Amino acid sequence: MGQTFVVGFIHGGIYALIAAGIVLVYKGSRVLNFAQAEVGTMALYATWWVSGSHHYPYIAGALAAIAFAVLIGLAFERVAVRPMTEAPRVTVAVATIGLLSLALAVEGVIFGPSPRRIPAPISGTGVHIAGVIVSPSELLAAAIVVIIALALSMFLRYTDFGLGVLAAAQDATAARLMGVSHRRVSVFIWGTAGALSAIAGLLIMPTIGFLTPGALAGLFIGGLTAALVGGLNSLSGAFVGGFVVGVVEELIKTQLVSLSVPGITSLGLFAVISAMLLLRPQGLLGGRA
Amino acid sequence: MTEEQTASPWRGWGWLTPHRANIAIVLILFIALPPLTARAMPKWFTGTTTLVFCKAVAIAVAAISLNLLLGYAGQISLGHAALLGFGAFTSGVVTSKYNLPMYVGIPAAALISAGVAFLVGLPALRLRGLYLAMITIAFGFAMQQSVFRTNYLSGGSAGIALPRRVINENDLTNNADFLVVALVLLLIVWLIDVNVVRTKLGRAFKVIREDEAVAQSFGVDVTRYKLTAFVLSGAIAGIGGALYGHSVGFVNGESFGLDSSLLLVIMVVVGGLGSRAAVVTAALIFTIFPHVMETLFPRLLGWHLIIGALLLIFTVARNPGGFAGAMHEARERAEKLRRRAEEDEIEDAGALPKLPSLPRPAGLADRPTADVPIVLHATDISVRFGGLQALSEASIEVPRGKIIGLIGPNGAGKSTLFNAVSGLVRAETGNVTFLGEDITALRPDERARRGIARSFQNIGLAKSLTVLENFLLAQHQVATYGTGTALLYSRRGARIERELGDRAREAVEALDFTRFLDTPVRNLSHGQQRIVEIGCLLVTAPELVMLDEPSAGMSPGAAENLAVRLADLRDELGRTVLLIEHNVPMVLDVCDEVYVLDHGEMLAHGLPAEIAQHPEVIGAYLGATTVGVAP
Repeated sequence: MGQTFVVGFIHGGIYALIAAGIVLVYKGSRVLNFAQAEVGTMALYATWWVSGSHHYPYIAGALAAIAFAVLIGLAFERVAVRPMTEAPRVTVAVATIGLLSLALAVEGVIFGPSPRRIPAPISGTGVHIAGVIVSPSELLAAAIVVIIALALSMFLRYTDFGLGVLAAAQDATAARLMGVSHRRVSVFIWGTAGALSAIAGLLIMPTIGFLTPGALAGLFIGGLTAALVGGLNSLSGAFVGGFVVGVVEELIKTQLVSLSVPGITSLGLFAVISAMLLLRPQGLLGGRA
Repeated sequence: MTEEQTASPWRGWGWLTPHRANIAIVLILFIALPPLTARAMPKWFTGTTTLVFCKAVAIAVAAISLNLLLGYAGQISLGHAALLGFGAFTSGVVTSKYNLPMYVGIPAAALISAGVAFLVGLPALRLRGLYLAMITIAFGFAMQQSVFRTNYLSGGSAGIALPRRVINENDLTNNADFLVVALVLLLIVWLIDVNVVRTKLGRAFKVIREDEAVAQSFGVDVTRYKLTAFVLSGAIAGIGGALYGHSVGFVNGESFGLDSSLLLVIMVVVGGLGSRAAVVTAALIFTIFPHVMETLFPRLLGWHLIIGALLLIFTVARNPGGFAGAMHEARERAEKLRRRAEEDEIEDAGALPKLPSLPRPAGLADRPTADVPIVLHATDISVRFGGLQALSEASIEVPRGKIIGLIGPNGAGKSTLFNAVSGLVRAETGNVTFLGEDITALRPDERARRGIARSFQNIGLAKSLTVLENFLLAQHQVATYGTGTALLYSRRGARIERELGDRAREAVEALDFTRFLDTPVRNLSHGQQRIVEIGCLLVTAPELVMLDEPSAGMSPGAAENLAVRLADLRDELGRTVLLIEHNVPMVLDVCDEVYVLDHGEMLAHGLPAEIAQHPEVIGAYLGATTVGVAP
């Protein structure tokens, strides 16, 4: 049982990063970003190219991935989001579906189906926590998630620009009248979403092992479930939702293994989303949906 | 009837008009020509090439399915490939495990996929927003990872065979022969889709896409119709999936992943949302063209996916109508130019035309006919939006055959009261009684079917639909035929549709708008849209007509004789009217009683003369300068 919670929390934290990206974009642009995790997959090919193929240190590859993901986020903001400021939000969501398709297609066509190996961030023996061996990369993941959660909430709460982002999420017109630049907020949101996507991808990679086109589809479904559980417009809800999803997934894995149903965790996530929409569509911490 | 005519060999063939005969010939050629060509020219149409055609037809069926959902009803599915998958696996189990023929497997596929769609759609479609997209992407992932890998369906992940069994052990091994089956099914699906579009189903889907509140005010049960769209789409996807499976002969979970779902979205959006022919063409091109290119240039393998994704982003960012939309717009522009050259018809017509007087339509089943003296009675209605108390314990009473005015400054809660009465806003406290029945717990569409018709400040019409289509839509509650009748367009359905059409034309003629019959509402001036809206409200002879600032946006000429028309409504048509209006002199002139709202509270109620003299009303609203102006 202890193992379930420890592992669940660590994986849940990574889901929470994707959920935070989804929520941030939803709050700021009122758009559901279906490409939130796939941008990270694309970016991981940069890590593979730098660290795996050219044998530069891991940190260089990781930074390359984050930079690449931010770049994709900014480019998408410029090409699709900004020209569609006045368009119905569904239309912009369909554009993110286009970005998702584009990322999947580029991965499939340029890199092909053969799995690529991404080196582990750190090696070493695991640590015992609550009677469970936690690998160093899992420990690192947990630490990074906590740091990002703290940094993000401090930034949004205690800096002028962060408060401006929150204000724009509440009421875009009022914020604009108060001197918050809509464009800067939008750029910040899509860039941060890209970075979160790449970081989440880097952190989950040791668990997945190999990079293939669409390798992070499961990560996206987990993150989306977390965002729905927490509430689409609640950033703290994203983290709560992430941990809930991580633990539920781990419980399914450990308790229902005897059913020997293939891919049972994906069925579990689907069930969680359905139940959430039926019982509490605004999420645990969300206001009016 | 003469002797000769009775003896004619064509007796009993009267239904075969030249028009219908032409259609029949085209259809027969459509189904027979490709397979015959394939058989006649085996060098050009090898088995592989013909197989590509079979697959393309299956994908075209899938595209029609997604277009019905996304193009008409505006609901996004990102797991459509999984519905195709259920179709393929179902038909696979039926034909290869139970050794039954294809024509059992394919209908079974439609049924199972429809059932699955129902279960998946139920939680998501009660809500407004992108919830179907979210739940279907998780659904597609779960099916690909889990259900499609179970031993029963695919023996782990090995897959399942789909023999083209016709009878006993006889299979349609030749691809050219199977192409006939595929084309026949495409034709059937096409015709069903045609029936969807020309009946209340298609109109309900489209108004839901445009504005769910407007849909409800026309009496459309939004959740039910969204679910209907998804279930129908699921059934067609099942057929498409089974066809695809029988084409390739073998499927596993990998055939129906997220990438396939996304490719379908690309075909439908890039081809042109809501345009059947464009979507089918896009599906055929996206399936056949890459095959041709890859045969000629093997290095181009998969590039159509990148191009497709780029096209999707470009389409939504620059040209949301897709290919078909762009063509349509160009046509519309040309026509506009031509019309402008002829005469300035789109210019606002001066006065408000006489409103249509139509008899009470048949089929108003839900509506109580009791002659209750008080039509509407709303008591102690309170509505709160977050921290804002929009209405506090406001009450209003509307007697039959009267015009009741509701005035008050901006933000006083007038429209909120309308929303509470029509059901779009749920009141915290209070009751709404309509014709003696407590309707507080009813949905907006149920209230509309009981005879409450309302207008919206920003025009409650489906603006991308034509004037005629809006008048048909407005009669949704009188279109008393079931979904099955609609899909088959049976004689009864056709008869009712004809009656609705006649009625709609009569109403449009009464408004003197016949020249705009096939004009999309959004191309009319604001004032003309308002006139169409009011006409639509009256077409079902409602018990209560609620007008929210009808004069806003009307041309001065039309606004001027609005009072006369409102009086006509009451005196000639016997309608009961509740009116929000800023033009206070007009309200005091035409209304029998007036209510005054201020800051969510009912400030005053009385005869127009009393209101004009009411000191608080003058202070709060009319302003000192207006004293003595009215009535």
